[in-house]
Amino acid sequence: MIITMHTFGLAVLVGASTAVDLRVLGVGRQLPISSLSGFFMVMWAGFWLNAFTGVLLFAADPRTTVLFTIKLLSVAVAVGLILVIRRALANGPTTVTPAARTYAVISLLMWVIATTTGRLMAYL
Amino acid sequence: MDVLGEMMTSVLAATSIDESVVSYLKSTAFSHFVVNTPWVWPLAETLHFLGLALLFGAIGPLDLRLLGFMKHLPVSAFRALVPWAVAGFSLNLVTGLVFLIATPDQYMSNISWWLKALFLVIAGLNVLLFELTQRDKADALPLGSGTPAVLKVIGSVSLVSWFMVLVWGRMLAFLGNAF
Repeated sequence: MIITMHTFGLAVLVGASTAVDLRVLGVGRQLPISSLSGFFMVMWAGFWLNAFTGVLLFAADPRTTVLFTIKLLSVAVAVGLILVIRRALANGPTTVTPAARTYAVISLLMWVIATTTGRLMAYL
Repeated sequence: MDVLGEMMTSVLAATSIDESVVSYLKSTAFSHFVVNTPWVWPLAETLHFLGLALLFGAIGPLDLRLLGFMKHLPVSAFRALVPWAVAGFSLNLVTGLVFLIATPDQYMSNISWWLKALFLVIAGLNVLLFELTQRDKADALPLGSGTPAVLKVIGSVSLVSWFMVLVWGRMLAFLGNAF
């Protein structure tokens, strides 16, 4: 049940963050940048759900493997980028800055790494 | 668990006709390749999880809009994300078929898989209902006004059924013996 909630949290956090990253990269331009605040609220809900269930899962099986370390680092960078991207968009610019695009690409990459290493922990 | 056990037994009885399909799929070169190549299964699982994140992230905002949230934005703006939901779903359909063809018995004999399939069908019919009968009406909704009951139902059914697809997919490993 805890791992199911962890997967659901992944869907919410990574899903909402990916949606914002895609918007920054030009998908769905009809969505005004200023309207994305709801997405960030959803992300934090997913983040806290996964921080909580993640701690429980780690307590049940406390092994600090290389994969686990990479996962935590990539999550930390991705979560930091949520804050950075939010700030970059906070002024509601009509055009997205090149820097914000770079953050969005790195964010997508970090989620791929975090999801991959998280999943591989079950097999390696 | 007794109830689930009985359900599993009755599902198994109802699907025993699939035995020949199961043994055929297990005999294919593809099944042997997936089962015997160490990296294939973890790779497909990883892609399956990235696909689910894409699907949820793209379809969740639209569902919330149909429920009446963020009504200052047009429904059509949220539908811009739908191709990404289709991409996530397609990725998961392909990787899901890899799992199913490689080890059909661990799914056919698992009540979780049948429940997952049930909710997949519900979610799919719900998408059809929206696309065929409600999409244009949803696009034409005036900004700022609430959404009609039928759209609230479609949005709710979508959120709940995709959530149940995820839950029963995850439960495969715990109610049965799927890996």
